[in-house]
Amino acid sequence: MKRPNSLAGLALTALMTLASTGAELAADPIRIGYSIARTGIFAAAAPSQENPYLLWQDQVNASGGLELPGGEKRPVEFVSYDDQSNPANTVRIYERLITQDKVDLLAAPWGTPMHLALAPVLQRYKFPMVGNTAASVQLRKVAPGYIWFTTSAIPDSMGTEMAAMLKANGMTSVAVLANELPYAQEFRSFLLPALKEAGIEVLVDQSYPPDAKDMTSMLVEVKGKAPDAVLALTYPADAFLFTGQARELGIAAPFVLSLIGPTIDAYRKAFGPGANGIVSSAHWSGQADAWPRGKAFFDAYVAKFGEEPDALDSAVTWMSMEILQQAVAKAGLDREKLREAISTGTFETINGEVTFEGVQNTRTPTGFVQIQDGKIELVWPPAIATAEFAPKQGW
Amino acid sequence: MVDTLLSGQLLFAALVSGSLYALVALGLNLVYGTLRLLNIAHGDLVMIGAYVAFWLFTLWAVPPLVALVLAAVLCAGLGWAVYAGLFRRMLAKPALAKRVEANSLILFYGISVILQNAAALAFTASPRAYRWLDTVITWGGVSMTLNRLLTLGVAAGICFGVLAFLRFHLFGWGLRAVIQRKDAAQVVGVNIERVQLITICAGFAVAGMAGVLVSMTEQITPFMGFPFTIVAFVVIIVGGLGNIGAGVLAGFALGLVETYGIALTSAGYRSILIYGIFVGVLMLRPEGLFTKAVRT
Repeated sequence: MKRPNSLAGLALTALMTLASTGAELAADPIRIGYSIARTGIFAAAAPSQENPYLLWQDQVNASGGLELPGGEKRPVEFVSYDDQSNPANTVRIYERLITQDKVDLLAAPWGTPMHLALAPVLQRYKFPMVGNTAASVQLRKVAPGYIWFTTSAIPDSMGTEMAAMLKANGMTSVAVLANELPYAQEFRSFLLPALKEAGIEVLVDQSYPPDAKDMTSMLVEVKGKAPDAVLALTYPADAFLFTGQARELGIAAPFVLSLIGPTIDAYRKAFGPGANGIVSSAHWSGQADAWPRGKAFFDAYVAKFGEEPDALDSAVTWMSMEILQQAVAKAGLDREKLREAISTGTFETINGEVTFEGVQNTRTPTGFVQIQDGKIELVWPPAIATAEFAPKQGW
Repeated sequence: MVDTLLSGQLLFAALVSGSLYALVALGLNLVYGTLRLLNIAHGDLVMIGAYVAFWLFTLWAVPPLVALVLAAVLCAGLGWAVYAGLFRRMLAKPALAKRVEANSLILFYGISVILQNAAALAFTASPRAYRWLDTVITWGGVSMTLNRLLTLGVAAGICFGVLAFLRFHLFGWGLRAVIQRKDAAQVVGVNIERVQLITICAGFAVAGMAGVLVSMTEQITPFMGFPFTIVAFVVIIVGGLGNIGAGVLAGFALGLVETYGIALTSAGYRSILIYGIFVGVLMLRPEGLFTKAVRT
């Protein structure tokens, strides 16, 4: 009985020796930490962020690793934890990543509340992090220094841009149906004054709870008033409800907005041609010739995950990693140098060039997309549009 | 306003939501009534049913009507596993059976977490959806998407089928006897264990079938189940815990209150209306709203 054991022991020792020799041969990996909502209320939205992280890691490692100043390349390794959709956990996890796991770099967690909770932690440890999936006017109040936001879908400028887009397309009346959750309400609070200023009449203005299971009575009212535009300030779950029931009732408005949801791959699978003509919030499209990096990202994402990247969350996430990668190539892993590089640099991204003023990306214009022929086309503003807005024709 | 209230459109919407509420609650009520188990994982069975329909349709173009049967079988199997593995011994020992309600709550919470995370691991948390039978027909001025009409038909059919079975079949009598007086039922020769096993399988199967129906119109995610658990608890508490017929009635009533309540007030009042009724019933008629009006 002794012999097999010692044989197994010998084999194990040999294996371990081999393994450690292997590790010594390869360059020490650069460890990047993040927390993400794998469970809880944000979990269904989080893959649109984590998938780009994984794709980015694949591509970086396939090219030999993350480039440091002087051309040295080191492989990338992620250290990640589930924050259970709870901002308090996010704070604890990042403190752990910084102090115990001693990661080299940080990537962002999913969602606005997580980013807001995390900003003071980054400030305290003087650890720079490029944010991504956060959008709120509150971001403007975050002290600049160690966090930056890649998105331009901030509700105040979105309100103005939406009113401008409606006016440019000859819409004179709207119905507003708004989810009671913060992002939709924030957008509504900037949208209503902008509509008034643009001389667009608001025929219906209703808010509904996030757990709404039926919108028929609201939509019957909307149908009765026959506005030019129906602006549904949705989150993903109610985007499905709104679209299904608006379609059932045959709402005939030529302009239909569903704020968040339509850029998710599953949305187009659920409604097929019925989704054509729906306008939604995003400032990127994989169809844009102006951004060649975008098409490459789009194709690689589809190849790896079998579905299209979310035009909003996946795009801003990829941008954040492009920025981190370019900043590291310039400044290395020293946190102060890295902070300086991100604050002052200009970065090539799938959404064009990005520079930051304070915490904000001031280069990318706030835009809107429309589903045309099953594809996400950027239709506003005209300067970056990949297609012209086309009035919605039936469901 | 009056036109809206009298339109068949609202009635159709109310009946579709009501039938789904009734169906989801039916399974929970069966399990609570006969076994006194508080199944917090009930909504996760709805999620499993939805994934069964999604994958069968997406991979092999199997229509959801066929998926109904397969989801029912799969969830019934889960019910059997849970009963045989966790609750059989507990329910058989009087000392443990006394605490089974509280214990089941914790156990099912664990099962819920496991099911959600297993689904997230197996299928990723990305939302899924498919398109089937989504033609809109207009009948008597009412626009109806065919899959919603089918949801109403199938959900109401299952609910009333189960009620008829309980009323007219000998096994149904036995089941009702176990709900009303378990000890007495045993004395007159009802095989308690058999009734319990079949009921938990049936309760789980019904939830799985509800999931198939839901999958035709909603996005499917590993975490979609919890709202259904909540709705089911509201319905069976309003109707009367363990009172199967009253639960079905309460499900339809909730659909009507929701749709017409929103039409009369505004969508913002939805939660106030539903939970107002819930709290009101708990305070004024804790035995349930329809307990005496309906006997099953």
